[in-house]
Amino acid sequence: MFTNLVFIILFMIGFYALVMKTNLIKNVIGLNLMEAAVFFWVISFSDIGGEVAIHKMGEEMTKFNDPVPQALTLTGIVIGASTAALLLTLIIELNKFSGTIDREKIEGLND
Amino acid sequence: MSWMNIELILLIVLPAGLAVIMYFSSAFNQRARNSLAVVGAGVELYLVFSLFIFNFEAVKNSDFFLQSTMGYSDSPFVINFAMDNLSLLFSLIVTAVVFLIVIFSTQYIRDKENRYFALFFLVLASIQGSILTADLFTLYLFIEAITIFTTPLISFNKTEKTTRAAMQYLFYGITGGVFFFISIILIYFNLGTLKMAAVAENFGLISTPMQLTIIIFFLLAVLIKLGIFPIHFWLPRAHSACPAPISALLSGVLLKVYLYIFMRLFWTMIAFDFLVELHLSAFVLDLALVSSLIGHVFALQADELKKMLAYSSIGHIGMILAVLMLNTEAAFYGGLLHIIAHMLMKSGLFLSSGYLLRTTLSHHIDDLKGIGHKNRLVFISFIIICLGTIGMPPLIGFVSKWFVLLAFLEARHYFGAFVVGAGSIIALIYYLRYISQAYETVKTESKTLREELISLKAFFKSTNIMKNVIYLFTLLIIFFGLSYKIFEMPINTAIFELLNPQKYIELVLGG
Amino acid sequence: MEIPTETQPEVESLNKLMKKTLISVVLAGVAFALYQNFSLMPGYEGLNVGLSNYIIESGLKDTGSLNLITAVLYDYRAFDSLGESTVIFGAVSGIVLILSRKMLPVSSKGLSFIVKRTLGIMTPFIALFGLYVITHGHLTPGGGFQGGVILAAISIIFSIVYGSAFDYRRYSPQTKTALETGGALTFLGLGLAGIFMEGAFLHNLGFLTAETGTLISAGSIPYINIGVGFKVGAGLAIIFYSMIQKTFEEDF
Repeated sequence: MFTNLVFIILFMIGFYALVMKTNLIKNVIGLNLMEAAVFFWVISFSDIGGEVAIHKMGEEMTKFNDPVPQALTLTGIVIGASTAALLLTLIIELNKFSGTIDREKIEGLND
Repeated sequence: MSWMNIELILLIVLPAGLAVIMYFSSAFNQRARNSLAVVGAGVELYLVFSLFIFNFEAVKNSDFFLQSTMGYSDSPFVINFAMDNLSLLFSLIVTAVVFLIVIFSTQYIRDKENRYFALFFLVLASIQGSILTADLFTLYLFIEAITIFTTPLISFNKTEKTTRAAMQYLFYGITGGVFFFISIILIYFNLGTLKMAAVAENFGLISTPMQLTIIIFFLLAVLIKLGIFPIHFWLPRAHSACPAPISALLSGVLLKVYLYIFMRLFWTMIAFDFLVELHLSAFVLDLALVSSLIGHVFALQADELKKMLAYSSIGHIGMILAVLMLNTEAAFYGGLLHIIAHMLMKSGLFLSSGYLLRTTLSHHIDDLKGIGHKNRLVFISFIIICLGTIGMPPLIGFVSKWFVLLAFLEARHYFGAFVVGAGSIIALIYYLRYISQAYETVKTESKTLREELISLKAFFKSTNIMKNVIYLFTLLIIFFGLSYKIFEMPINTAIFELLNPQKYIELVLGG
Repeated sequence: MEIPTETQPEVESLNKLMKKTLISVVLAGVAFALYQNFSLMPGYEGLNVGLSNYIIESGLKDTGSLNLITAVLYDYRAFDSLGESTVIFGAVSGIVLILSRKMLPVSSKGLSFIVKRTLGIMTPFIALFGLYVITHGHLTPGGGFQGGVILAAISIIFSIVYGSAFDYRRYSPQTKTALETGGALTFLGLGLAGIFMEGAFLHNLGFLTAETGTLISAGSIPYINIGVGFKVGAGLAIIFYSMIQKTFEEDF
């Protein structure tokens, strides 16, 4: 299925960036890419071709997309945003101490 | 209108509300803030303890169960909280240790206390939440919350080292969280439910390859958080960088909370038989044993006191995880008893190391010379607790290690028994290294030990709360070592829950 | 034994290449295995089985909210939303703890006059849109989080166009913190009111319901939306301002 393929490829690209890149900001981007891949997959997998789960006044709706995965994803996005902000804050602090955001040049991080 | 068991919600909301008050407590004076923190943690402890006392008969007959449903109880995806004997045991010991850590940190933290206590109580709230919740997604939320709230606490003393450690901790923690999220979503797509009990009932309906994927992602997430061998680099750094009370919280309390989550996931929600069927239990058992051995060996070469303690934590956690994977009654008894023992001992060790290291230049072993002469009594407590972790007879560490060893022998798993013994011997070596260093240079002290003991009155007059907390930990370790039978009833009822998950499932689903 | 120095970079780059290939191969293998595994998964039936069926049938009846996603977020699973606003609160206080400095260095420079005037004309409309998204969360797509992000964007655009001093003077950090806490307390208060009036924490308040489809319907959901909206907006603005402090010190 195409959705699964896109999810796995995006997830692996994110994981590769998280593991292999030495630039810390790129690592954060990789982590966010992983999260975004999961969220994309959740939304698109739960799409069964129905309408968005919002009633319209005066109309009877029969086929909805499942609203629960969307609500879960919203929670996940907020958590992802908080962690990304915290990580970037820590990188700003680290840059102040060591003058670089390269993982290999910061002593004690390259393993 | 149902007033069912509101106290479960209260256990989570009370520390969270206290955290908000603490955040704005910069206008309070020191004494008011400290007493508010201690009273808040005390009320929390009282609530959990009263649950234990008032339901004593039910706990004893192991049919204790509290449940709180939020909102529409007939809807299938309502969030509910449940407390059985296992949750009660963990909630009780965790809150008790956190209470002592709060008392210690009122004196230890002298800077930005409002932010410190705000984050600390948020961590307490999320710990209680992750222990009590019966909903998978809420569990994910609380695990992520624990990671997010502890990160600023790790980099509390702003140096390069702490910032580095906190960043690494957050990277690993969030990666684990993403794996956890994938697993939950896979479960939702396959079964259409998020309730742990409903998942437990229907898990066999999922196709076997999908079961394997779900279990592997859960295992990855929890093993990352537990710091088991291939992914353990972050743990010693994070646990040694932070202030001493936070080290005690992370190493003493949080690792056990993750162990609890592990038990909840793999015994209550996903039956352990699935792990055995997929040949994963033997793999995790061996991995945990290797991790235990490696943790102890790395502790041998650690030149910093707190780093050594953190590596020793890896060793103990690996041992507990391994013994739990044996899945026998004796193994659960040893494992749960060692969870309690290690929680007390590691918190005590980190707190006393925090007290000892306040007067030294650095945490390096060379700077610890003569520290045993400066703080005699505290260092003697430190030695006693060290002996406890090694496994000396009258202390609780001996009792728990003995039962772990018996469980390994009973299951005829001799590598496990070897790791327990070898771990103790290696631990003896690395503790002796520090103890001998501490007594190396003899300084002329005005007071002898006897004089110091006699001047107990003056000692209580000065009300050094930090010292008292350390002594309390030491006394608890000696006391529980002599009378470990106290824990027999709660642990046995908790084992009953682990062996009979059917009760939990029926009670949650039955409303 | 001495390794000649000039070959060392070569060896290192070779090592790196090896590592890269190894990781790529492993990841590709895992990806293939996962793909094989996921393709075995039955197609998502979602609404035909289990819990989602329930919400279609009785979601509107239970909560009075036309937007069923909002109904899940702020009524059925409201505790999750409370938890996630607590996560934002914790993240904000953590970031402020990590980046705390004595004073806020600000810049009074901004972009050119044209940009400033244009933004001045546009700002009320952006704010109106944000408020619309927040208050109509139970009727149309949107809600507290989405609207709150729009409100935070106003603050961020201000600091880019007018210089951060302007926004700092307009809405000081204290105001933002007060807004954030106010939002959180609104949420918590409605939850506690649920205990006393309906018997369950965060239960929808029955006496607030009105005719379905009007602005103030759906029980306590609109009020929770407003609380969360201000909380998220203020929280994100605080995070942004904590992060840019150092950057703006230089062009003073």
